[in-house]
Amino acid sequence: MGGGVGRLILRRLLSLVPVLLIVSFAIFFLLALVPGDPAVTLAGGVSATPAQIAHVRAQLHLNDPLIVQYGRWLGNALHGNLGTSISTGQSVSQQIEARFPVTFGLVVVSAIVALIVGIPVGLISGIRPQGAIDGGARTFSTLGLAIPSFWLAVILVSVFAVHWKLFPPTGYTAITSSFTGWLHDIILPAIVLGVLVGASLARQLRASLIDTLDTPYIRTAWAKGGTRRSVLLHHGLKNAAMPVVTVFGIQIGYLLGGAVIIEQIFSIPGLGTYMLSGITDHDLPVVQGVALVFVLFSMAMSLLVDISYGFLNPKVRVA
Amino acid sequence: MSTETESTVTESAPDTVATAPAASDRQSLRQWWAEHRRLRRFFLKAGVLLALAWLLLVIVSAIFAPLIAPHDPNAQDLSHVNSGISASHWLGTDDLGRDVLSRLIWGGRISMQVTFETVGLALVFALVIGLIAGFRGGRVDYLLMRGADAGLAFPPLVLALAVVAVLGSGVNDIALAFALVFAPGFARFVRGQTLAIKEESFVEASTSIGSSPTIIVIKRILPNVLTGLTVGIAIALGAALLAESGLSFLGLGPPPPEAGWGSMLEEAYNTSLFTHPWSLVPAGLVIALTVLAFNTLGDAGRDTVSGTPVRKRGSGRPQRGLTTVSRPAAAVAAADPPRTEPSALLEVRHLTIEFQTEAGPVCVVDDATFDVRASRIVGLVGESGCGKTVSSLAILRLLATPPARIVGGSILFDGQDLLDADFDDMQNIRGRDIAMIFQDPLASLDPSFTIGFQLVEAIRLHEKVSKAAAQARAVDLLKSVHIPDAARRLTAYPHQLSGGMRQRVMIAMALSCSPRLLIADEPTTALDVTVQAQIVELLHELRERQELAVLFVTHDLALISEFSDEIAVMYAGEVVEHAPTDDLFARPRHPYTAALLAATPGVREATGRPSLLAGHVPQAGHFPEGCRFHPRCGFAEDACREQPVALEQVSEDRQCRCLRQAELDLPGVGVVIGKSSEVDPVGAP
Repeated sequence: MGGGVGRLILRRLLSLVPVLLIVSFAIFFLLALVPGDPAVTLAGGVSATPAQIAHVRAQLHLNDPLIVQYGRWLGNALHGNLGTSISTGQSVSQQIEARFPVTFGLVVVSAIVALIVGIPVGLISGIRPQGAIDGGARTFSTLGLAIPSFWLAVILVSVFAVHWKLFPPTGYTAITSSFTGWLHDIILPAIVLGVLVGASLARQLRASLIDTLDTPYIRTAWAKGGTRRSVLLHHGLKNAAMPVVTVFGIQIGYLLGGAVIIEQIFSIPGLGTYMLSGITDHDLPVVQGVALVFVLFSMAMSLLVDISYGFLNPKVRVA
Repeated sequence: MSTETESTVTESAPDTVATAPAASDRQSLRQWWAEHRRLRRFFLKAGVLLALAWLLLVIVSAIFAPLIAPHDPNAQDLSHVNSGISASHWLGTDDLGRDVLSRLIWGGRISMQVTFETVGLALVFALVIGLIAGFRGGRVDYLLMRGADAGLAFPPLVLALAVVAVLGSGVNDIALAFALVFAPGFARFVRGQTLAIKEESFVEASTSIGSSPTIIVIKRILPNVLTGLTVGIAIALGAALLAESGLSFLGLGPPPPEAGWGSMLEEAYNTSLFTHPWSLVPAGLVIALTVLAFNTLGDAGRDTVSGTPVRKRGSGRPQRGLTTVSRPAAAVAAADPPRTEPSALLEVRHLTIEFQTEAGPVCVVDDATFDVRASRIVGLVGESGCGKTVSSLAILRLLATPPARIVGGSILFDGQDLLDADFDDMQNIRGRDIAMIFQDPLASLDPSFTIGFQLVEAIRLHEKVSKAAAQARAVDLLKSVHIPDAARRLTAYPHQLSGGMRQRVMIAMALSCSPRLLIADEPTTALDVTVQAQIVELLHELRERQELAVLFVTHDLALISEFSDEIAVMYAGEVVEHAPTDDLFARPRHPYTAALLAATPGVREATGRPSLLAGHVPQAGHFPEGCRFHPRCGFAEDACREQPVALEQVSEDRQCRCLRQAELDLPGVGVVIGKSSEVDPVGAP
């Protein structure tokens, strides 16, 4: 049976190869989209000195044919070298290495918040559709899908950080220097991100559970003399979880995108703020590097989700 | 003027629906009605009306912003900064003294433009990519779809940011960036639809007539794809607005003075978070409400398309896993006259079951009355739709509420009325005293758990035994239903077994706690004929081995004749005849029973008599007046049409619901047909 999951992982990894090629190609060719002469634009536009322009041209090998440039960029990227920042001259890879754990921590805590919020709410409203709790839960998930994360963020900041002063409005403590400090700083941003994802998770779980609880095998479980706990939580939740897991995989992509905004609002020095500074500074290597890492991160997450799906669904595992 | 526009709108809206593909005029008319009713339901939802009103307000005020906005959105008035709500500034002013309402109205122009442009562009991309991929197939399809995968691999905002990073943040640049985000998902859908429609005969037909593929695409596929996408479009509009606002909030939106709602919120956040937190509210609220409106339309559209019925809030709280009983107290008393006869193991008396439908409650089982005595096998037969399965599920209170409710009668098991039982009582009885097996064993076994888990669970729900002991018993149970290699089968999942094996597992599970009554609901219908015989043989064998009463629900009289002691015949929600099997076959009393007998395949050939059974079982809610069988009965008289007929005791062990049963001499079959003994009881899979 472990072999089944092994094969599943291998199959998924192989199917990722062409996608990864296209992604890297697309990211690299952002360069071709730069309006005008990339060297001039990237060196700072009209105010750039000829020396700066020449430097950018040499640094990015802009005189080579594009496809050669792509080959070099991809080769370097595979060796973990994402080039150097035009504006600061720092290694992009080193910056990403330093900032990745920050974003990763934020995303993981947000995902946990999403699960803590989404599963109970979805479970209760799926078991008792049309009940009072379901009414509240559905309002919550409908609002969760409509409320912009940044608006929720600024409102929570103004209430909890500015008005009640429970949390710092902005700032970040590294997890390595103080775990509680880190948690204290990260909890508000993680709640903002997680609650909204949790809302759509709840919605999904509710729909899935309602369908599942209508199946003949659930009727069998009742007919056996199953207790509510065994029928709803074992048979119901396990079967209802499968489509939810798929959706959760997609949601993680949104979580990563959302992290960009949330990091900016809370001044968290993660990948998102790095990418935004790259955009403001017209620092293409930074933008490309962070975008690539974001895609890899997101793909790794959905691979993880697929694998857990394999563990949940015996048919996938054995096939 | 306004009435004119109104009437054109109302007329043209259903028209666009009516042009959907239709084979014939009559069909298109019927479809038109169906769609029209759905459309009406769609528009009658309060949420939809509110959403439409809000969107109309936003879009109209965006279009006519120069006429509607009370102030110049950029006119600063430093003597009135951050003023509250007033007659001249309905939503107050911002930190530069600009009128918030006017800025919202003008901001809507930008936000709405980006939103609609994004989705429009995404649709164009998706149609081109999806149609080409779907039509060309092969390598082109592979490449385009991997491209779509790549697009979907990006966290949405990151892709848009990367594009905006190089293109800049003009309105069109942003729309293009987000269009790239939305296009892959749409493209996949378009491709799927194209493939599906390509397979359909009408495209093949047009190709053979010689129409060019392009014309086929435009004429047939495009409208279908767009109809299918409407829900997706509504949701995408909301998502695009959220995304655009997010980008603007990051300061990457269209540069001033083209400030959308996101930029307004950003400004308020940067300037007034600590001093005037209320200024954070208007722009955010407008974004949220607009997204909510788009989502509401999308959700309602999805419900309309999928035909999800609008559930009414019923009185009383439905309980998962237990059919609700709401019997009038008077009816309970009347239904239970004191009896002198020795009570049977199971006595179903005047059982009445209603289903909640959109048209109101419909009675599906009405006055079902039958007994199952200990160690007897009773067949419950009838055509499909006569209420036999519903009655059998009602005994263990397994019908889901809503829609089902038991509204009358009683179900006495061992003297205890199961309709008075609460969940815990029922939970104790189910599986231990009364067990049940179902029609489709694959669907009835949980696909996510091994059969070992499901068997052990069945045992341990009712008996305090260790896991190991339960496991050992599970192996014995599997052996007792003749499953070879039983110990190894415990780790198998249901989908790994054959149909016959699955039903054996179901039976093993049902018998795990030695119940006194087994309810079998069409347990062989989903199986092929040889396996059917093996399962029947097994049930027969098990009955010989242990003391077990069986209520066997089936539409197959030949099958049940082989091993039942008694048969109850149901028609249109009522039991019409109940008799010992041999007597029933030899001399049916009810015309329906006689007709059923005559229609049974083995009998028809043996006797050469023509089938008497024409027509169909009337649908629940449309039962005829008088005797429910009279429209199909060859012996019906005027009296049969006048009032309902009661089930009467016609002899010591027979009951019949027919006014003319005494005078009619209905043809029987004489011998019980089809007693086959050649079937190998040790059925190999």
